[in-house]
Amino acid sequence: MTTPVLECRDLRKAFGDLVAVNGVGFSVAPGETYGLLGPNGAGKTTTISMIAGLLERDGGEVLVEGAPLTTTSVATKSAIGYVPQDIAIYPDLTGRENLRFFGRLYGMTGDDLARRMDEVLQVVALADRAGDPTREYSGGMKRRLNIGIGLLHRPTLLILDEPTVGVDPQSRNAILESVDQLSAAGMAVLYTTHYMEEAERLCDRVGIIDLGELKAEGTRRELVSMVGERDQVLLALAGDLEGAAAACRALPTVHHVSTKDEHVELVVDEARKTLPAILEAVSDAGAAVRSVEVTEPDLEAVFLQLTGKALRD
Amino acid sequence: MKAVAIAAVNVRRMLRDRSNIFFVFVFPMLLILVLGVSFGRGFEPRIGLVAADPGPLGQDLVRELEGMPDVEVERYGSVQDLRTSVERGQLEAGVVVPEGYDAAIRAGQDAEVRYVARQSELGLQLSQTVRSAVAEQGQQLRAARLFVSEGAGSLDEGLARAGVVAQALTPVEVVTTTVGEERFPTRLGRFDLGASSTLLLFVFLTSMTSAVALIETRRLGLSRRMLSTPTSIGTIVIGEGLGRFGIAMVQGLFIMLGSLIVFGVDWGEPLGSASLLVCFALVGAGAGMFLGSLLRTEQQAIGLGILVGLGLGALGGCMVPMEFFSSTMATVAHFTPHAWAIDGYAELIRRDGSFVDVLPYLGILLAYTAVLFGLASWRLRRAITG
Amino acid sequence: MRVALLIAAKDLRQRLRDRSAIMVAFVVPLGLAFVFNATLGGISTGGTSFRYGVVDEDRSQVSAVFVDDVLPAVQEGGAIRVRTVASEADGRRMVADGELSALFVVPAGFGSAVEGSDAARIRVIGDVDEPTGTQVARSIASRFAADLNAVRVAVATVAAPGETPTALEALVQRAAATATPVEVVDVNATTRELDTTTYYAAGMAVFFLFFTVQFGVASLLDERKDGTLSRLLAAPIGRAPILGGKLLTSFVIGTLSMGTLIVATSLLLGAHWGNPLGVALLVVSGVLAAVGIMSIVATLAKTSEQAGNWQSIIAVVLGMLGGVFFPISQAPGILPTLSLLTPQAWFLRGLSDLAGDTGWTVVLPAVLAMLVFAVVTSAIASVRLDRMARL
Repeated sequence: MTTPVLECRDLRKAFGDLVAVNGVGFSVAPGETYGLLGPNGAGKTTTISMIAGLLERDGGEVLVEGAPLTTTSVATKSAIGYVPQDIAIYPDLTGRENLRFFGRLYGMTGDDLARRMDEVLQVVALADRAGDPTREYSGGMKRRLNIGIGLLHRPTLLILDEPTVGVDPQSRNAILESVDQLSAAGMAVLYTTHYMEEAERLCDRVGIIDLGELKAEGTRRELVSMVGERDQVLLALAGDLEGAAAACRALPTVHHVSTKDEHVELVVDEARKTLPAILEAVSDAGAAVRSVEVTEPDLEAVFLQLTGKALRD
Repeated sequence: MKAVAIAAVNVRRMLRDRSNIFFVFVFPMLLILVLGVSFGRGFEPRIGLVAADPGPLGQDLVRELEGMPDVEVERYGSVQDLRTSVERGQLEAGVVVPEGYDAAIRAGQDAEVRYVARQSELGLQLSQTVRSAVAEQGQQLRAARLFVSEGAGSLDEGLARAGVVAQALTPVEVVTTTVGEERFPTRLGRFDLGASSTLLLFVFLTSMTSAVALIETRRLGLSRRMLSTPTSIGTIVIGEGLGRFGIAMVQGLFIMLGSLIVFGVDWGEPLGSASLLVCFALVGAGAGMFLGSLLRTEQQAIGLGILVGLGLGALGGCMVPMEFFSSTMATVAHFTPHAWAIDGYAELIRRDGSFVDVLPYLGILLAYTAVLFGLASWRLRRAITG
Repeated sequence: MRVALLIAAKDLRQRLRDRSAIMVAFVVPLGLAFVFNATLGGISTGGTSFRYGVVDEDRSQVSAVFVDDVLPAVQEGGAIRVRTVASEADGRRMVADGELSALFVVPAGFGSAVEGSDAARIRVIGDVDEPTGTQVARSIASRFAADLNAVRVAVATVAAPGETPTALEALVQRAAATATPVEVVDVNATTRELDTTTYYAAGMAVFFLFFTVQFGVASLLDERKDGTLSRLLAAPIGRAPILGGKLLTSFVIGTLSMGTLIVATSLLLGAHWGNPLGVALLVVSGVLAAVGIMSIVATLAKTSEQAGNWQSIIAVVLGMLGGVFFPISQAPGILPTLSLLTPQAWFLRGLSDLAGDTGWTVVLPAVLAMLVFAVVTSAIASVRLDRMARL
């Protein structure tokens, strides 16, 4: 069996009384894309900061290509490409100057650095604006450069901390595509997000994190199967919403009920079979059904099942 | 009313920044204190004196030297220290009464008193004072010497005799009187002169640096937002101007009252003093507005604000009194509002003038205000509406 | 070291594109040195000549000694100019107008009063605004009076009662010839003072140095705010070179600013900084002290704005106390001693010492003092700095 690119065990970190990360552990194999999925404040960035050696940890260990990594292990850090959540570039330097500076910090020099800078500028589609100060870049361009800097030194593990936050849909798509390509090229990727769609689309395996703990991990299929063959049903209702919800709750095939605005959201066994009974119960409760929407289970549903709350509010 | 609201916001923003509190309130008071302590006594030349074991005759000379009028005499322990202090300009000159002064004179030899000074006019001038003191003290020694050389007796006998004779004689005297009006009346406290120039320096400096806030307001688009409310450009211009004025007044009143309470500074007649402050704060507001309307970035405003604020202050006699300027520079100084305001305060504080006496100065300051405000609102109108 | 240089090179590139850094490091200090030089450069630190008038209403032998011998002799020595004035009224008016510093009046009957041992007085009328000029005039007259008195005392001490007039006259001659046994000898001290132009050039340079160096260390706070600090920490480099790079940046900008100001004020204003090696030592140690002090302040701040504000306060207070605005080292009292608690005061003292001496070694005490500042403050800063280079 090959050594995992990244292996971390029992990571712990508290800020004063606040326990930010509590015993998180997982591993990422070569060429694998691992997604850390959780809502804002779940402990994703803290976890990643400990893995990248930015933050002292209270406990646990991190192995990168088998070598232990702490905040002071200088050599081991070369294997990691880190893309912070904030746009971490110097606004008063040009794109090329930013790349050159960070490339040199990773010990790159001369022709190798020049060649690699050109390659990266191609990948992030900034070749024609490389000579401009980055403060003149659009938001999407800054994001792309932010990622480009992390790729420059050909890391074996790329850590991306919510790279798509606050990005327009077009740039977002471009970012996701380039991550796909990198992964296809054999790079191990650790990706945090609170967008379920991104995790579903990109990641070979997903870890679901909440309140500093890893609730579950596996491939999408594995995770979804935890919820079982359950579907999500969304009813748009008029009339007694609470009464309808109570009636649904009483049905044995309904596992989870929540109400919102004019809607009732249900997690049910095999929607096709149970739907007639649900509709009957709702109309008996004095509510009129205006529309019905049935969704196959997804990570959102898994998250809801595991934590009792939605990924996004 | 809206203009007052804009002004109030300006003052509140200034007070909320804690470092402003230091520069606007604490630092001026500190400066008044330091200036008062170090230079408030006016200029009295300092002469150092070294006299190690001079003997009784030497003691007489030391007493004579220490009694020199209008110079401050400081005793020094060693010639080396004395010399260093003279070289560094801490002393204007030094006098060394040699060891064995007494013995040398009794032995009929000459004693050498050394006068140490840098090569400067003042050094040469003060040597007259020292020589005069030495001559004064040498009178009876000369008589005693003559007494000895005429074979009338010993030196001590001669000295005793000369002492008695000198008592009986009517000496030739020097009577000194002065004419003219005192520019720096001695009745003034040590903080009085520095306080008004510090007040003017800081009120103007604060107005200049608050041009930064004006630019920031514009850069953040707040001016546009204000313009989007039912408020006319004129109101905004007046309001922003009032903001500068409010800040300058808050600071000016603080310095005036604070220095009055803490250092007992004499500000002269209250009405005249306050109206000078109001008019000068208006000038400062106009200048700050003008600078703020002229520049685009905050960095420029900080740099130029300090440069112009300190520069005009120096030129206008806020750092070194205009009395020390050459006549050309004094003329140039009166292109600055500072010089006129300082003249106004001099009228109040040194000549005990009243509100009526400062009216001409108020008029000049208001003219500055009108011109600066005119230029500034014209520029600001263009800057906001582009 | 390589990484520290890399970071310093990057920072310098950023600072040189930063208008406020250029303003603070070069434009404003140079501008203020200009203004101060223009306004205050004409004021000589050594004082000016006193202008005296003399009215001889007596026209006796005795008054002639004063007018024709004593006063010209003093004028010969320098620093005073004497002219004859027609009448006391004219003289008074000239004093009141500031044309004369003081007026000597030898009243009619002075000579005969002196010879007859009656009360005799010379009057000195001084300008109220020239206390020193008046005082010196009085001294000159007093010395003459003391001479006259000395002869009178000497003669009265020695003369036997009933002496013949001829014998008495001879005794007066011998008395006048008897020199005072105390001689005043002039000793020239070298001037270890800066001329006004150099003083303001140096004062402004060292004052703004403390603003200039803050661009180095405080930029760590910017890096944290902008997120680039996490990127530096993720890179395969230690914390030490990051901090080293920042300190190096401060040092280089500070030295660059000082160097530029020294050259510019020498060429444009004619400032005399003195022996180049001595000046270089002062600059280097001064910059090190400034970097150390400002680093401590930066480590206490949470944001770069806060750091900037605190640093300004410290720079202004130390500057004022250190005598960059007015020569506090020449003030009376405790302030000159207190002033030596600031590196600015030592810097200016070192330069003043250079002004009196061409050898560079005279700056060593000042250099040593500033190095002590540098070492102590960097030691304190380094303990705290390490904390800054963490998330």
